Amino acid sequence: MAALINFTNQSQGRDRIFRATQYACALSVYLLRNKERPDLVEKLKSLEVSMSTGRKLFRLGNTINSIEAAKRTMQLSDRVLCLCLTVANINRALYFACDNVLWARSVGLIRDINKERWSLNASRCYFLSIVMSLTRDVYIVSQLMVQKVRDKRFRQKMDQHLSESPEIAEPIIPQLDAFLFLLLESLRSQPAVALDTLKNICDLFIPLDKLGLYQSNAGVVGFCGLVSSVIGILTLAQPKLRITP
Amino acid sequence: MEAHMSLTRKLLRLGNSVEALEAAKRAIHFSDGVLRLCLTVSHLNRAMYFACDNILWAGKTGLISKLNQQKWSQRSFRYYLFALVLHLTRDVYELGLLMECEARNRATKVSPLPVDQVYAPSSSPSPAVPNLVIPEQFRRQLHLLLTVLYNNPPLLLDLLKNSCDIFIPLDRLGIYSTGSGFVGACGLTSSVLSILTMIHPWLKLKP
Repeated sequence: MAALINFTNQSQGRDRIFRATQYACALSVYLLRNKERPDLVEKLKSLEVSMSTGRKLFRLGNTINSIEAAKRTMQLSDRVLCLCLTVANINRALYFACDNVLWARSVGLIRDINKERWSLNASRCYFLSIVMSLTRDVYIVSQLMVQKVRDKRFRQKMDQHLSESPEIAEPIIPQLDAFLFLLLESLRSQPAVALDTLKNICDLFIPLDKLGLYQSNAGVVGFCGLVSSVIGILTLAQPKLRITP
Repeated sequence: MEAHMSLTRKLLRLGNSVEALEAAKRAIHFSDGVLRLCLTVSHLNRAMYFACDNILWAGKTGLISKLNQQKWSQRSFRYYLFALVLHLTRDVYELGLLMECEARNRATKVSPLPVDQVYAPSSSPSPAVPNLVIPEQFRRQLHLLLTVLYNNPPLLLDLLKNSCDIFIPLDRLGIYSTGSGFVGACGLTSSVLSILTMIHPWLKLKP
């Protein structure tokens, strides 16, 4: 199993680059929609479609990867992290399974399946996995904030920040100002967590739009997809920026 | 499904030109002259093959309109064929070196016999002897070859893989047309062999 996982991980970097390209094309198509460039729009659309179908093929083994990741996260000591990550991984495994079925349908291997229903189920599983990942991010950030509040040096810094503001502008809600300062300092001290939170927030817009829960337009979806893909590429290129566990 | 897989693999290979060029740069520093030549030129040809392949992908997905797909396809197969020929040359060269090594080992291991016993069989005036001498030498060489291959599984796998692979461009260029079934079987065999070398890295031929 480890050999299979090592084998499939080699295409992970390329998959992220293709995802970035796919969403960049979607964004460009949206931005060019009112300009008179039908041939360019046609090319971008076909590139986006070929990237999307190609990536579905690469993802054929990812169900097993996600199940293995779920098995690993079940052994974490922290219960909240264990729950969040295991549920997220199981939902990702279900999403990939639905995705594989959709690929088989698009290639013509399976014919009598309801494409809309399977697509909806895939989006639901993906949505749930992102929500669980965001919950984990919020949990880690809250732990960091609690840790910082208990630190004497940080409290001195915060008092200094709060006392210097009256010369510039009176804080309307001092507690909100203190909270925001604490939040930003916590995120700045752990860039990996900040990046993961941003990535998950961007990723959330994609299934929100597909499921009809929050209808944004194709441009927003494209932009969010592009930002999350770029962050994904960064975390792969710089392992320090990758959140653990 | 075959067309879909082929197009997707072309997509996956988009970065491979650069990798092949890097491999060629590394191969220039080998000490052995024959290996250096074979591997450097073969990697350069592979880089050209991947470049043509990328252009074909761009043509198929519609990024480049008005591409002569047939011409570029033929070009890419020509580079691929040349790269495979060089790989096979390297395999045969390594095989030759190993056989020489093995023959010398055998010669030193065989205990020296008295001179009359060594020359006795060949000096007998029987007419059947010349017919037996040639197959004997051939059999010895064959045995040597099989022993060397058996003791060097990476070389054997690489030789088999390249031999299977070579039928694909030979068929597509029309030099030696076999059926599409045979080409499919060869492609499948060489893919399975390369999966094996990835799962067991010790089976990969180095350099």
